[in-house]
Amino acid sequence: MSRSVWKGPFVDGYLLGKAEASRASGRNEIIKIWSRRSTILPQFVGLTFGVYNGRKFLPVQVNENMVGHKFGEFSPTRTFPGHAADKKAKRG
Amino acid sequence: MDDQLILMGVIGKPHGVRGQVRVNVFAEDPEVLAAHTLTDRKGRQFALAWAHENVAWLSEVTQAGQRRISDRDEAAALTNVELFIPRSALPEAAEEEFYLADLIGLRARDEAGREIGRVGNVLDFGAGASLELTPGGRLIPFTKACVPVVNVAEGYVVINPPLEVEARDE
Repeated sequence: MSRSVWKGPFVDGYLLGKAEASRASGRNEIIKIWSRRSTILPQFVGLTFGVYNGRKFLPVQVNENMVGHKFGEFSPTRTFPGHAADKKAKRG
Repeated sequence: MDDQLILMGVIGKPHGVRGQVRVNVFAEDPEVLAAHTLTDRKGRQFALAWAHENVAWLSEVTQAGQRRISDRDEAAALTNVELFIPRSALPEAAEEEFYLADLIGLRARDEAGREIGRVGNVLDFGAGASLELTPGGRLIPFTKACVPVVNVAEGYVVINPPLEVEARDE
């Protein structure tokens, strides 16, 4: 059962303040968060968060396509690194 | 760099009695394996033709020509053989794109030129790539701000580590 629309998306309140401060500072910084349950809001687009997966803080570069998802979706707790083969990484 | 071999897949168990094999593909596009001559660790060369999903015909390539593997026992003997292609066979990456095989192993330097480790792995879980530095396992977002220089030819990257601020409920 999905969340009631009238409640709005859930986000831990302190993230909003930190995101705002980070954007205002304009520095190259990672906001380390434990709140995997928080929804990614449009205010977070362009910022980089370090989302804790129980072991380390995985960098999450927020873009428009992630809005509405939870932070935890981008920081898996169980990972198989796979093989490099011909895979490519794009510099953001 | 051109001589580097890239692991593209591993031969699995035989499929049927006519010499077909299963292939575990690590490439993004399985057709890449069919388009190139594949090499194993012993230097033997193979050509691969897909029969259907994950199942292929293999032919051993020698100077005399190609010989198709058409017997289950022969196919079973190839189980767990790793298949490589040379790095030079991969097409040029687009601008600001880098093959993981090129990035892994590069020396990491700070902006003053001091060496701070190596790129141990490149992680991407759908939220942008990150370089994992060894030793220590520190993760650096793969952005222009954090990795301003990537010099594959000379084998180094320049790292400008981001500041870290914590956000927690107080």
